[in-house]
Amino acid sequence: MPDPIVTENLVKVFPGDVRAVDDVSFHVREGEVFGFLGPNGAGKTTTVQVLTTLLTPSGGRAEVAGLDVRAHPDEVRRRVGLVFQESTSDDELTGRENLQLSGALYGLSPSETNRRTKDLLTRMHLDDAAERRVKTYSGGMRRRLELAAGILHSPHVLFMDEPTLGLDPQGRAGLWDYVRQLRKEMVLTVFVTTHYLDEADSMCDRIAIIDHGKIVAAGSPSELKEKIGGDLLTLVAGPDSADLTAVLQRIPGVLSVQRRDSEYRIKCRQGESLVPATVSAAASTGVALQSVSLKKPSLDEVFLEFTGREYRAEGSGPTDIDKTMRINQWRGRRR
Amino acid sequence: MLEALRALAWRETIRWFRSPFAVFASLIFPVMYLLLFGQAFNLGKLLGFIPGLTPTEAAMEAFRGAPNYFSYFSVGMVGFVAVTASLFLGANVIFDKRLGFVKKTTAAPVPRFTIFGSRLIAGAFRPVLLGFLVLGMAALLAYIPGFNGLTVNTQVTALGVVEIILALVSVSLAFSALFLAMGFLFESPEGYFGIVNLLNLPILFTSAALYPTTTMPPWLQTISAFNPITLAVNVMRLNLFASVSPVTGSDYYPYSALVYLGGSLAYSFGLVLLSFWIAQRGLRPR
Repeated sequence: MPDPIVTENLVKVFPGDVRAVDDVSFHVREGEVFGFLGPNGAGKTTTVQVLTTLLTPSGGRAEVAGLDVRAHPDEVRRRVGLVFQESTSDDELTGRENLQLSGALYGLSPSETNRRTKDLLTRMHLDDAAERRVKTYSGGMRRRLELAAGILHSPHVLFMDEPTLGLDPQGRAGLWDYVRQLRKEMVLTVFVTTHYLDEADSMCDRIAIIDHGKIVAAGSPSELKEKIGGDLLTLVAGPDSADLTAVLQRIPGVLSVQRRDSEYRIKCRQGESLVPATVSAAASTGVALQSVSLKKPSLDEVFLEFTGREYRAEGSGPTDIDKTMRINQWRGRRR
Repeated sequence: MLEALRALAWRETIRWFRSPFAVFASLIFPVMYLLLFGQAFNLGKLLGFIPGLTPTEAAMEAFRGAPNYFSYFSVGMVGFVAVTASLFLGANVIFDKRLGFVKKTTAAPVPRFTIFGSRLIAGAFRPVLLGFLVLGMAALLAYIPGFNGLTVNTQVTALGVVEIILALVSVSLAFSALFLAMGFLFESPEGYFGIVNLLNLPILFTSAALYPTTTMPPWLQTISAFNPITLAVNVMRLNLFASVSPVTGSDYYPYSALVYLGGSLAYSFGLVLLSFWIAQRGLRPR
């Protein structure tokens, strides 16, 4: 069984020689949640659109569910589910009717569609709203309906392009709970782009960070965090106590120790497991500690490390409205 | 495949019926024309008295067999409605593009022709329905005192009814296809409405929908003869009104209804093919 998503030297050039995706290669393994992160205009959505046959690649190769996207677009379409950043449901139809329409588009028989629609409406907690028109739905309900439509035909791979954009924290957490639940019940490979790094951290098995069309970092969230220097353990000893530097440096797992007066900044791996050792090391030297604090690097820092810290007002997002929305959201995150 | 076509056409139709304003909006135009314009603009009265002819005979000579201007004009309104009701179709495509529904269908494993085809079938149904409403309403007005109405002054045959239906269907398909294609071609409502107005007004004004072409300057008569609305309304008028002048004994139209119907169907076929090609180009992944 080949990996469900494989790209090799994938290139997408738009008119005007804009290289939106520039020589991108990665594999997504069966059953994993793969996060695709990057600043605005980095090439995330373009990559999703190439993988889902909405755009054709300009160069390189992309295989989804074992099929080349250029040679077999219809077969690829049949095997992938999509949850876009915008709602694609029809406002004038009810939730149930929207799912029935999706079933017909994916070639399910009417009886099969009805059976799965019923099941998914229940699982997404949309039973009570099933006969209501989608225009009366809240943002979270719409996203759940999109998710239901995305998996109605039991796809091999689910693509989610910024699925939680514009949702409140409850809505975001809710959507991920449903995805988690689904993954318990079936083997589902998920490819997700997001701007919410905390989501990526908690949900994704592996992450790739793309910038200017190129992948700048890839790995599991913890691997990426280690790459930028690991955890920071800070000890504050009492005033005028003995120097602990040498003792601390001997503890396995400690990478470096910096002393400033009575404060020690210890770079290390898996800082939480080193806390007892450092405390007892201090005690054996007869030094009383005033405080111990641990700071694990967040994915935010990884992201900024690899994509640069400068503020990008000149994105190349699809539309101005979109851009403004994302910039606001980005501002919100950094506050 | 047919299931996808059916489901998408069903979605278009149900949307239309569920948004009462959309149905209402497409009715305002023909209803106002029949109730106000058609009543006020009494071209027949302007003819004045012609010695030796009854007013009806004079009207028949002026309006190619129709017993009065309203009768002539109300049949023309059917062609008019085919254009105005189709305008919304392309605009809907643009809004669906913006809302992501078009993306949903292009990302689905459905043959590309169903995306355009379902909209064409569901879309052309609207002008056909409205066309019959216009004819029915115009005919009813004849029975209301104080109103001009549609008066039929010839024997309508079963074949004639079939010809009228075919003419209505073909002109509806032609314009629905054309405006849908424009919807698939343009990304912004501004661009769409720009091109639509550029097409819309010349199509209406060079047609025989509102006035007889016989009084037009010759160059305009030539253009009008090839106008798809002219062809369709000629078929209807030939089947609803006298085709031979009781005064001069000559034919009001140079060709028979079947010839005009053939022209109308050919237009329809050609425009559907052209529009289909344009829409396919618009849907092809870049």
